[in-house]
This record gives sequence, structure tokens and C-alpha cells, in this order.
Amino acid sequence: MDTAKKGSTDLLLLALLDEGDLHGYDVGRRIEQRSRGTLSFTLASLYDTLYRLEERRLIRGRWVEKPGQRRRRYYQITAQGRKVLASEREEWGRLIAALMLVAGVEPA
Amino acid sequence: MNDEAKPAPEKSQPAPDWRTAVEHRAAEVGVDLPTPTIDELAQHLEDLYTAALAEGVPPEAAHARATAALAESSFATLRRHAARDPRRAHARLTALHAATSRRRSFTLLNALRLAVRQLRQHPRFALVTMLVLGLGTGAATTVFTIVDSVVLRPLPYKAPDRLVNLWDTNSEKGVAHDPISPVNFMDYRALPVFADAAAWWRPAINLVDPGLDPVRVNTVETSANLFTVLGVRPQLGTGFPPSPTLHVADEKLAVISDRLWRTRYGADPKVLGRKLSLSGESFTVVGVMPPKLHYPDDVDVWERLEWDLAQHSRHAHFMEGVARLAPGATIAQAQAACDALASRLADQFADSNRAWGVRLVPILDELLGYYRPALVVLFGAVGLLLVMGVLNVASLLLTRTLSRQREIGVRVAVGATPRQLVTQLFAESIVLSVGGALAGLLVAAALLPLVVAFSPVTIPRLEEASLDWRALGVAVAVMAASTLLFGLVPALLLLRRQVTAELKSGDRGSTRVARRVYSLLVSSEVAVACTLLVGSALLVRTVRAMTATPTGVAAEEVLTAPVQVARGESTDRESFLASWRVVADTHNRVLDEVRRRPGVIAAGASNFLPLQVGWRDPFVVEGEPVRANPDEGPQAQLHSASDGWFEAMGARLVQGRFFTTADDRDQPGVVVVNETFARRYLAARPVLSQKLRMFVSGIGPLGRNLKDTRRSRDEPHQGDLFAVVGVVADVRNAPLGQPVEPAIYFPARQFPFAEMNVAVRAVSPGIALTALRAAVHEVAPNVPIGDAKTWGERFRAETGEPRLLMSTLIFFGFLASLLAAIGVYGIFSWSVALRTRELAIRLTLGAQPVSVGRLVVGQTAALVAVGLLIGLVLVRIADATLSRVLYQVSPHDLESAGAASLVLLAAALVACLAPARRAMRLDPVIGLRAE
Repeated sequence: MDTAKKGSTDLLLLALLDEGDLHGYDVGRRIEQRSRGTLSFTLASLYDTLYRLEERRLIRGRWVEKPGQRRRRYYQITAQGRKVLASEREEWGRLIAALMLVAGVEPA
Repeated sequence: MNDEAKPAPEKSQPAPDWRTAVEHRAAEVGVDLPTPTIDELAQHLEDLYTAALAEGVPPEAAHARATAALAESSFATLRRHAARDPRRAHARLTALHAATSRRRSFTLLNALRLAVRQLRQHPRFALVTMLVLGLGTGAATTVFTIVDSVVLRPLPYKAPDRLVNLWDTNSEKGVAHDPISPVNFMDYRALPVFADAAAWWRPAINLVDPGLDPVRVNTVETSANLFTVLGVRPQLGTGFPPSPTLHVADEKLAVISDRLWRTRYGADPKVLGRKLSLSGESFTVVGVMPPKLHYPDDVDVWERLEWDLAQHSRHAHFMEGVARLAPGATIAQAQAACDALASRLADQFADSNRAWGVRLVPILDELLGYYRPALVVLFGAVGLLLVMGVLNVASLLLTRTLSRQREIGVRVAVGATPRQLVTQLFAESIVLSVGGALAGLLVAAALLPLVVAFSPVTIPRLEEASLDWRALGVAVAVMAASTLLFGLVPALLLLRRQVTAELKSGDRGSTRVARRVYSLLVSSEVAVACTLLVGSALLVRTVRAMTATPTGVAAEEVLTAPVQVARGESTDRESFLASWRVVADTHNRVLDEVRRRPGVIAAGASNFLPLQVGWRDPFVVEGEPVRANPDEGPQAQLHSASDGWFEAMGARLVQGRFFTTADDRDQPGVVVVNETFARRYLAARPVLSQKLRMFVSGIGPLGRNLKDTRRSRDEPHQGDLFAVVGVVADVRNAPLGQPVEPAIYFPARQFPFAEMNVAVRAVSPGIALTALRAAVHEVAPNVPIGDAKTWGERFRAETGEPRLLMSTLIFFGFLASLLAAIGVYGIFSWSVALRTRELAIRLTLGAQPVSVGRLVVGQTAALVAVGLLIGLVLVRIADATLSRVLYQVSPHDLESAGAASLVLLAAALVACLAPARRAMRLDPVIGLRAE
């Protein structure tokens, strides 16, 4: 599953943030929950990916302070991020379709 | 503290401080994280911890869970993010911090440390690259050092490039390198194109001092100006005093070499003024030359010339000469002046000078002879090797850089600036170059003494070779420059392409170009290896042809050693002839004594060994008219051989008989001729009843014809008759590669020479030597034995030069093939890896693994074939140089080309075996997913 995870990390994160702004811990937790534990990140790789997407201007982080809470960093998808998300989704869809056709791979 | 967190447990455990934990962890792995990142990570851990508590996990386990998340994280990647983008909010907060960190993390030193780590992760790549660099630089340094010390380093004379040797040529006799006649020399010396010229000849000399063993020393008797012409001075004493003439008759002076001075006289400064007995005559030492000076080749004693060159003969060619060109005169001008003079002399002295000319040869060319073309071949070989090393390093680095396409893409994506990236690649190249240079140094240091020690022949000046640091520097520089170039250029090309495209890695454009470049590199490598291998195959055949050349003797184990008997002073003709009779008798007694020793089977002596060229002189077959000038008639080589000589050397008798003790000086003159003589001059007649009329009375002070019937030198010579009593199968009397000449053998008893090569056939060479030593000691205690060797050893030494060249070329040839194979392996591993997807699709669509393998191998074969073709063209281009070192083999020899091609094809096949197997065993599913 590791190879798939590597190539698809960006897709996963962008897709999650497309649903709404999240801070780092939430991002990690939701990926783990939704993939039923198949996908998980180490601390560094999670933030590495977040920072990388931020540098590519696909997401944007900002510090938010809520009363009675420590300040947290929330990440939000950018317009460019949505564009990349769309094209990645399409590409992966094609690949999965091809895998299904050629190699008999079924969606789990 | 998080308000939403459950109240702290009763066990008064302090709430974990996640900030400190993150800081500790960062410090542990040596990463400076900016404060905001620490905050963010601490918050994450806290969330993790509180979530665990919320699930009902006990505080210790919750704490452990968060700590585990921290521990499994490698922070290295995070640092780059943190340090990079000043627009990032938290980075802005720690701008100062980040700046320091950046400065620190991208110094060259850090880059070097990182590079070493990188290469350790790819040990095979690093080792192969360093090995290639090391072999290339090491071999190049070794050969350059040798060529430099043998060819390029100036000779120890003043302005050595202004010095030329003079050799006689004769267009009619096809002679291009003969000694010059003394009278002609004096004419040439007077030409204004020469500042001065010196001449010498080589008497063989026994050196006898009281209290010391007699030895044979290499001696020249030279005109007094030799050292002035060369521009060298003795280290001790004054040398020959200046004199208006080239010779001084009344006083016998000698200069000795540093080597003789140290080995024989213990470097005693009192050697000046000492009397030396040189072949019975007393000379005063007036100088010791500086170390390593033995001009013209290996001389230890220089005697001053005692007789007038101008009063000798234009017919006699036995002098050697060296001239210094006049200031401003070029060698071409000097040659033209000599040619003009030669044609004037030919007109004026037609009987002696017709067709004779003089050839000027720069002394370095003269000194090197065979080695010059050989070293050029070698130099070319090693140059090619260096090129190959560069090509290989280039291909290795190209492969590696391209395989790092993604890594570089990621690095750029995560914020490496081009400067940082270049620094990094630069550092990797430096580490590779340094490793390669060290390996090269080791290779050169190991190789050079081996070459010097195992050289089968003495190459002039080779022993002076010591590791040349400049050469090493140049080789390392070439290699390092190529390492840098090929390490950086592809990386920079990659950088220019946009990063996102590389990350998707679906694009094949750059790799297609790279593959074309790479194929070109591999083909060139194969071409170079092919050239070297064809060269070595040709040399192997040359050596084989040389060794197989019939010599006419069967004397592998026969000991041969020169023995020279000194002839006493003579005042008149009677005492002169008497002294020659003593010489002849002494040799005979030595041989008799040798034959009496146990274990000796046969013994004999001759003034020439096989492969040596005898004296040439005219003869007339009896019954044919005698010309007014016999010199214009046919000539044959004259040799003197004792009874037992042919038997000892294993020569074959064709007709009649060899010499016996009965062929003495008071008996009728007899000769043995060789088959070539019999065929050419005595064909159609009964050979054994023929008589030859000979005009030779002696060979200067070297030998004397005791059957010469003339009463005095001035009496006109009608010739003396010698009966042909035998025909010997041709004993080679010309160097390898030249035809055997007609030869006449005199019995040594009738035509004695002072110096004879004694041949002893015994049950073993050791026994032969013991017998010869004892016999000489018994008969003539003052006579030294010269360099004693078996004939087999001497013959092998004749082929030593091409054999040395051959073994070197074989060495380089196989090194080159190895490099080519590495190249082939490199390109195919890479191309199979790159084409994994394509090959997988082929397999998926039903291609047989075998056909995929065939596809890969077929492409190798095509590359190798192109390389071979280019290589064969290169051999064609090197034709002229090659043919100078070949013997009885054409540079276009098909067999050699075929052998070289086979070796290379086999090497290439082995090299692409592993990648081909990988391609055939490819799992289509994994293959499709790869990238």
C-alpha cells in the first residue's frame, strides 16, 4: 500500500481540505479514520506534506486563536489547490479504471 | 493547557510538557525547528494525548502513544520547510533563526558531509565510480611518468635538441644507419651548419688494474672534443685538455664514469692521475664524469683519440659521430648541406663515396630507437583509456543524476534553491574525485615499480622514472573536471525544467535525449576498447612471428660469453703477426680446456652471434675475372668460427664438413659458406670443389687474416684462395625482419679475432659457466669473461621490446574492455529500469519473456557492433604508427580484429545478462505500478 500512499498523499490531503478547513491533528485523524486505519502518517510526514502543499500554494495555513484554547494552525485549500485536486482525481480515476480492466483490481 | 482536557488525574502527575518533548526530540536528531513549528507539533501531540485519555486510555499509555508518534518522526525534512519560505508566518517570526540555520546548513562542509552520507547509501555506485576514476588516473599517471622520464625529460646535455648523430646511408646497398667513415666525417664536420662535431669508435676493452679482478668495460675512443660538443664537464678533474686537433698522439688519457669510479675505485678522489691498463696499454685518468652520464650509450671509459681521422680511409665505415648545430641552423638546413656535400664527395671520390650519404638523427630519436614509436602507441593507448574513464564516469553520473530526477524534483519542490542544489551535487562530485584520486595514487604507486622491475628489456632512462606528481595532478584534474561537469550539467538541465512536470514523472522527453547520449558514450567506449584489443592482438602475433623466426641454431640452453684476448704491442710485421698467433692460440687453449671439463658436450667460438651482422667484404669465385676494384664486385658477410662452433650452437650441416683442428694457419685456407651464399653464387656448380678469392687482410685491430700472402700493406692485392669445404644451413645473420645475407665463415685458427663469443654446450648452463670460468682462469688469468647468458636468453631479449609493448597493451586492452563492460552494464540496467513500464505492458499484452530479453540484448548488440566498427576504423587510422612496431603481421590482420571483436562481444553479453534477466522476470503488475 506504501507506493499508492506516496503518490496519493497530495490527493488525499487536498480532498479533505476541500471539505473544510482543518488543523494538522484533525487532518491526520480523519485520514486514519476514513481509510479504516490503512493509511496513517507519522508526525513529520504529515507536516512535511502540509508544508509542501502550502509552498506550492495549493493550501494556505493561518494561525487561529480561540478564546480559552491554544492557538492552532488551520489549513484551507486555495483555488489553485482545487484545480490540482480536480486533475489528480481524474488521473487517478483513469488509472484505477485501467487497473480494473487490465489487472482485475477491484475497489476495496 | 487545553481547557477541554479532562481534569488531571488524582495521582498528581504533572501534565506533560509537549513543547519541551518536541524540542528535545529536535535537538536529538540535530534539527533546529522554528518556534511556530514546535508550537504546531506540540499542539498535535497534546491533541493526540487528550484524545487517548478521552478514549479511556490510562495516562501512562496515552503519554506513551504520543511519545511514540514523536519518536517515529524524522524531522530532517521539516527543517527545510521551516528554513525556507520567508512568507510563511512562522518562518517570518523566526527570520533571524532561519537565516543562521540556512547559513550553517549549506556551507560546503555540511554539503560534503551530506554527500558522504549519500554515497554511503549507494555504495556500489560510489565504489564503481571511484574504481573507474582510480584505474583511469592511475594508469594514465604511470604511462605519462614513463613517457616523460624516457622521452620528454631533457637529456643531461647542454641544449640537447641542438645535437644530432651522423649516420652513413647508401642508397645502392639499402643502408640507412651505418657507421661513418673517419675521413668523410672530417669533411662533414667542416660544414658551417655545424658548430662542432665529435666522433668515436668502440674498441672492446679489458680493464686490468693491479689488485683488482680484470673486467670488460664499455669503451669508446673518442675525439678530444666530445664533452665540449655535448656541453658537459667532469665532476672531478679537468677532462681532456683543449687541443687544436681532434687527436693527440703522444699521451694516452682516459675519463671514467661515475659508476666505474664508485664501484671499482670506491669513489676515491685520488683516482685522478691513476694509470689504467686498458687492453694492455696504460692510460692516465684525467676526469670522472657526473652520475648517469654514459654517452653514447653505456660507456664507462672514454679514451682520447690517438690517431688522425683525416689520415684514415673513406672506405672504412666504423665511426659514430655527434654534431652540434651552429646557432640559427635548423636540422633541415644541416641535412641539405650534408646532402650537397655528399654528392660533391661522390663525384670527387667515386670509388669510395658513390651512393654514400649522411643522415642526421636528433640524439633523442637515436637513443630511443624502437621505443619512440612504441611509447607513442602506449601513450595513445593510455590516452584512450583516460578518455574511456571520463566516458564511464560521465555515464555513471548521468545515470545517477537522471535516476535522481524525482529526488531533485522533490528537493526543488520542498525549497532547495538552485545554489543549494548545485552545492550539494558539487560536493558529491568532489567526494567522488577525491576518492578516485586516492585510488589513482595507489594504482600508480603500485604500478610504476612493477613496470620498472618487470620490464623484460632495459629501456634507456626507465630507471630514472619516479612517480610524477605533475602527471598525477593532470590526470586527477582531467578526471575531476569531468566528474564535476558530468555531475552538474545534467542536474542543471533538470533544474531548468519545471518541477511539477518531473514530479509527475510521466514525461519521457529528457530521458530519450539522455539515452541517445548514453548510447553514444557506450559505443565510443567499445570503440576504444576495440582499438586497444586489436593493437594487443597484433602485438601478440608479432611476438609469435618473431619467436618463430628460424635462427638456424638449436642453442636454447647453450651458454655464450664474449672473451677478449689482449694482443701485446708490436713494432714490426713479424711481431705483429706473432701477436695474432698468440691470440689464436690462447682462444684455442681456452676452448680445449673447456672441453676437458666434466659435463661439457661441445664448445666453440665465433666473432659474431646469430642475429649479428658480420663484416661485409668482396670476394671472387675462382675462375671469374678479378675487377680492378674488387669493392665493386659482390660482397658477402665474413665471420670467423672455431672448430666446434657450429656443433656447439646446433647448426645444421648441409654438405661437406665443418671446421676441425686441422684447419690451422699452416694448412691451406678453407671456408664454410651458408646456404644463401651457395644458392646465390655457386648454384650450377659442385660447391665443394670451388675456391673463393678473398681480399681481406684483417679487420682493423680486431682481427687478422693469417693467410694473407702479401708482404706489406702497399703491395697490390691479388687475393688469397680459400677452398669451400662445407655448406651450413643458414644461421640468421641479420636482425629479425631482414633477409639472411650470403656469408663466408673462416676458421678462427686462420683468421683470429681478439674478441670471440665462446659457446659452451653442457649438461646445464651453470656447469657451462663454471667450466668456462675455470678454463679462462687457467689459461689467461688476466682475461675477464664478458656478460654470460644462454642463447635462449639473448634471443628472448631480442623480442623483449615488442613483448613489453604487447603485455602493456594487453593490460590496457583488458582494462578498457572492463570499462566498456561496465558502461554496457550501466546503460542497460538504467534503460531496463526506465522502461519497466513499457516492458511490463509488452508482457501484459502477451509478449514472451524471452522476446523481451531478446529485445534488450539485441539493442546491446547493436551498440557494441557500432562501437566495434568505429574501433576498426580507428585501427586503420593508426596504421602508420602500428606498422612500425609490427613484424610479419599486417595492421589489417583479420584474425586479430576477429579476436578483439569476440572478446568485446562476450564482455558486453555478460554485462547485459543481469539487466536482461531482470527484464525477463519482470512482474507485469509491479512493473505497471512502478515509477
